[in-house]
Amino acid sequence: MASIRCWNSTTPEPSSKPLTSVPASDTIKHEGSGNQLIKVSKAMKAYQEKAQALDALMFEKTTEYEIGRRHLANMMGEDPETFTDEDIDTAIEYLFPSGLFEPRARPLMKHPTEVFARKKVAEFDETGRPFHVLFYTGLPNYYQVLHDLSEKVRELDSFSDRMMQYNIHKDPERTLNVGGTEWVKKEQLEDILLEKLKDKQYEFFVRSMNRLLDHPFSYRVEEFIMKFRKHVQISVIHKEIPKLMFTAEGTPYMAAVGRRKTSTASVTVYGRGSGKISINGEDLLYFKYIQDREQVLFPLQFSGLLGKVDVVADVDGGGFSGQSGAIRYAISMAVRSFVDEQMMEKMRLAGLLTRDPRRHERKKPGWKGARAKYTWKKR
Amino acid sequence: MGRGLWHRGIVSSSNPVQSAVEPLEKLQESSSDAITEQMAKSLKYPDFFKVAELFTVEDLFNARVHLGHREGSLNDHMSQFIFGSRLSHLIFDLDQTATLLREALNFTAHIAFRGGIILFVGRIPQHQVMIENTAKECGEYAHTRYWQGGVLTNSTIQFGSVIRLPDLIIFLHTMNNVIYEHTAIRDAAKMLIPTVGIVDTNCNPNLITYPVPGNDDSAASISLFCNLFKAAILRGKEKRKELLGVH
Repeated sequence: MASIRCWNSTTPEPSSKPLTSVPASDTIKHEGSGNQLIKVSKAMKAYQEKAQALDALMFEKTTEYEIGRRHLANMMGEDPETFTDEDIDTAIEYLFPSGLFEPRARPLMKHPTEVFARKKVAEFDETGRPFHVLFYTGLPNYYQVLHDLSEKVRELDSFSDRMMQYNIHKDPERTLNVGGTEWVKKEQLEDILLEKLKDKQYEFFVRSMNRLLDHPFSYRVEEFIMKFRKHVQISVIHKEIPKLMFTAEGTPYMAAVGRRKTSTASVTVYGRGSGKISINGEDLLYFKYIQDREQVLFPLQFSGLLGKVDVVADVDGGGFSGQSGAIRYAISMAVRSFVDEQMMEKMRLAGLLTRDPRRHERKKPGWKGARAKYTWKKR
Repeated sequence: MGRGLWHRGIVSSSNPVQSAVEPLEKLQESSSDAITEQMAKSLKYPDFFKVAELFTVEDLFNARVHLGHREGSLNDHMSQFIFGSRLSHLIFDLDQTATLLREALNFTAHIAFRGGIILFVGRIPQHQVMIENTAKECGEYAHTRYWQGGVLTNSTIQFGSVIRLPDLIIFLHTMNNVIYEHTAIRDAAKMLIPTVGIVDTNCNPNLITYPVPGNDDSAASISLFCNLFKAAILRGKEKRKELLGVH
């Protein structure tokens, strides 16, 4: 029986034996087994027909896609051989400009494998015997992963027992580095396994994988672990830190502007200093309250520049709290240029580099304040 | 060699019983009638696959199969299989166990001989991996996970298409947890699927076709049972290969 197959077909070769109903006498004789086997053969036949139809469709679509790509390349005046998928996207955008807001509604030409979802191939052979050991669990691929996981934990435990005999413990040099990666999300795991999972099953998977990861010798099973970890996009946008400027005398300095509530502070931090602070011409005692003075000194104390730099600040607007906050933010931004990346990251984590966006919220009529309401009386 | 030797309690099996078996005729032309004839012939022997050779009562003892739970948790239906108790811990009668185990292994081998699907079931986490590995090594199937309700009774909807159900279910543990029986026991009985089960003192052997009274809590005893069932299945499959010549 000739079947249409293309180069990237994923279905197994149909067996050479013709698909006939299995003789009932050849297998267990219990009530209904003959009927069941004929039904199964029919199901298998239907499976095979579906798989062949899918293969034919994919072949057809792939050929169409390739022809389309060559046409586009010719239209754009590019070399058809080296016309990539990104080039196709740009070409489509240029040739078919769309005013539609939704990106998914715009004209699209993607490879058929991206458009048509992958499906599981036939799960049992013509006698009805499933291919996978754990077929009857309903989630063979998921439970196979859990099985492999258990086996790996056992392997690592027996390895660590052997190492203990030679008094070799966890090697810090070879610890598995999973920095910048996280476990695949539930949807991604479902795509990998081609099986729908419940939330609890996903959570169990993550807990079990963490247990494997925490093993001191987990580097031995790095390949298995990395299959289920994906790299995370770095969320922090690395802004350009301005380079230090130099005065006529050669002292390095950096200027920055900071705002808090309705106050604005413009600050200059001079390097090679002795810890002098000047705010609007006055000393640190410009601020009456200790909390405000602490706010001004905090970035310097945190970055270790307390007695090493001079600060000159001009501040206007708002009250003491706003002004001290604005100066603090301005000093932090200026100090970035004096300090290395690691310290800058620490400052970011400490909240020094975050502009406090809070503003005064207006009072509403009928309410006591911005949010507070008057006492509610039932009667 | 007649059926008489298999009556319970008569034979003490420290020496396994040997039985002479006619080798199967190699088929010249494979017609389904000839196959049926040969398979029917295999039923005439009390121990066609010589499963009695696979173990001795001493092996059972060394694997701690005779150790039951405490007297208080005894299921009344199991009292016939108990030898006695020591310091309120129940002890199985290994002669009875041996006889029933031989029957179970014989049945399993025959099922494998006829190309039946065998499903290993057991719900205790400590032995999950062992059971799944046993199934893999003998080319059969395992289900040691959460039992979805419709697996046997509603299979068409559960699996999305008509599937072939198991022809034999082997329970390494008949209990789900301390109190409840595994759902598959009742469902297999409903679907007329024969079952083999290792029943401990707190288990109910009623719905199991071939109960094997014994300890289901030690890794040693479960390991022994897994290996025995695997050996029986492999023997059955070997004979099948001989008979059919292919696969």
